Amino acid sequence: MKDIIKIDNLCKSFGDVKAVQNLRFRVKEGELFAFLGVNGAGKSTTINIMCGQLLKDSGNIEIDGQNLEHNLEEIKNSLGVVFQNSVLDSALSVYDNLQCRAALYGITGAAFKERLLKLAKLLEFEDLLKRTVEKLSGGQRRRIDIARALINNPKILILDEPTTGLDPQTRKTLWNVISMLRKNENMTVFLTTHYMEEAAEADYVVIIDSGKISAEGTPLELKNTYTGDFITLYGVDEAMVKTFGVEYEALRDGYRLFVPNTAKATELIIKYPDVFFDYEITKGKMDDVFLNVTGKKLEGEQ
Amino acid sequence: MNTVLILIKRNIKLFFKDKGMFFTSLITPAILLVLYTTFLSNVYRDSFEMNLPDMVKLSDELMGGLVGGQLISSLLAVSCITVAFCSNFLMVQDKANGTIKDLRISPVKVSTLAFGYYIATLISTLLICFAATALCLVYVAFIGWYMSVSDVLFLLLDVVLLVLFGTALSSVINFLLTSQGQISAVGTIISAGYGFICGAYMPISSFSSGLQRVITFLPGTYGTSLVRTHAMGGALNEMVNQGVPSEVVDSIRDAVDCNIYFFNDKVSISSMYLILGTSVAVLVAVYILMNSIRKKV
Repeated sequence: MKDIIKIDNLCKSFGDVKAVQNLRFRVKEGELFAFLGVNGAGKSTTINIMCGQLLKDSGNIEIDGQNLEHNLEEIKNSLGVVFQNSVLDSALSVYDNLQCRAALYGITGAAFKERLLKLAKLLEFEDLLKRTVEKLSGGQRRRIDIARALINNPKILILDEPTTGLDPQTRKTLWNVISMLRKNENMTVFLTTHYMEEAAEADYVVIIDSGKISAEGTPLELKNTYTGDFITLYGVDEAMVKTFGVEYEALRDGYRLFVPNTAKATELIIKYPDVFFDYEITKGKMDDVFLNVTGKKLEGEQ
Repeated sequence: MNTVLILIKRNIKLFFKDKGMFFTSLITPAILLVLYTTFLSNVYRDSFEMNLPDMVKLSDELMGGLVGGQLISSLLAVSCITVAFCSNFLMVQDKANGTIKDLRISPVKVSTLAFGYYIATLISTLLICFAATALCLVYVAFIGWYMSVSDVLFLLLDVVLLVLFGTALSSVINFLLTSQGQISAVGTIISAGYGFICGAYMPISSFSSGLQRVITFLPGTYGTSLVRTHAMGGALNEMVNQGVPSEVVDSIRDAVDCNIYFFNDKVSISSMYLILGTSVAVLVAVYILMNSIRKKV
């Protein structure tokens, strides 16, 4: 897989505040890339620079083989962005909103209608086209936001906290659509989110803190590096658990043991085969990774 | 081209569908109408009668033509500017609610966006002001019609020029605004202030000489004077026809700002058109310049 986004030594300051410091990462074509950080960590600054909304102080950005400084127009054509807050015109109909957005990319007439039909079918809003946006529910509005970002058939979809405030059902629907787009159109998804279970689905994760990369890797690598494993053991008494010499907590019907890694878990199981007859081993969560890396919790996490 | 047309359509639709912006734009004309119906009508009428020699008695219809002409000229002179400002507030709203950021993420040129706002404001303002002109003419027809066809055509030209001026001025000023609070502040200042400085609420001739001199440097003054000249010209000519001495009619023209003096020199009608036209061109050039040097942070 080729690198569709290459960022090297990116720096940006606002007065004395260093918003982004020597940021360097790669995003591979077709992958779901999660960009995590607390508010003010530098996520939005990075996205705004990538979209040409802010000037960088130094560094190099290449998107889809185009240099940001020299080929901004081409880069804009290959990006679609969904902001946390909807930027649809509430007083206009869904059709008018999408028609206007398409026109900004030079998509008009029959080409627009063809694209609209495809998106309406994909995101299931055929029956909403004539409705004004202010009369849509939160979930419906979000679907139109995504359609708006996809109207130019972008290679990279930037999702800036796209599911914040949405109900679980709508979040699930949106992720199904995004998964389908990645699978069918090999679309790269660049995601910032406060929901760690969404980040756990990513192919690659970068965590930034105070404008610098604190950790990066696949979710598995991050979990292995920054959290331990958990063994949930059923049908044993506490005296037995104490003999293992590991940290644990009591559950209603068993005990959860904290072990530093899977090897240690395996070691325990081999050592006490008579005790481990009903158990499960789970990796640490992305929440734990984030907390251990930054010492902070993400707002809005569940 | 299609991109610009669709952007213009979006901006016009948003203006007419946004009740806040639309009704705010009609506040100044509404204030004028209330002022007129409560006491200004009588003030104007008494003022005209006081300036007439004792032996001259004007018919009610001619007096209606004079007073009506003054009212509609005030109303149109102000509306062309305030409606343009309110319509162009969409540009600021788009900044305040983040829409502009989303628009600029697309490959559309900044100049296309700026042109879209300008033309949409122009069309929205022209639609409202032409509708207002039509209503004003119907009103004058009821109370005393003395306008010639050329007066009406020139009045329409004046409205177009004033709308162009209002659109260009609002584009330059609104370009600098970024928040809802600033919209409210500028909206209030324009609605309340412009009516005074253009001579819509009170004739400029009734101000102190120092203030009058300052006001003659403002291009909008000449717009008001042009509208007034063409709205009241027929009735004033009729007064001459009915034997009112031309000196008296001239003094009325001075009193109601049909005549504007720049350092004691009377400004001709053609010069007024030239001043207004040049102002529009300069403001449009400034607007283009502001857009082209707009800096990213």
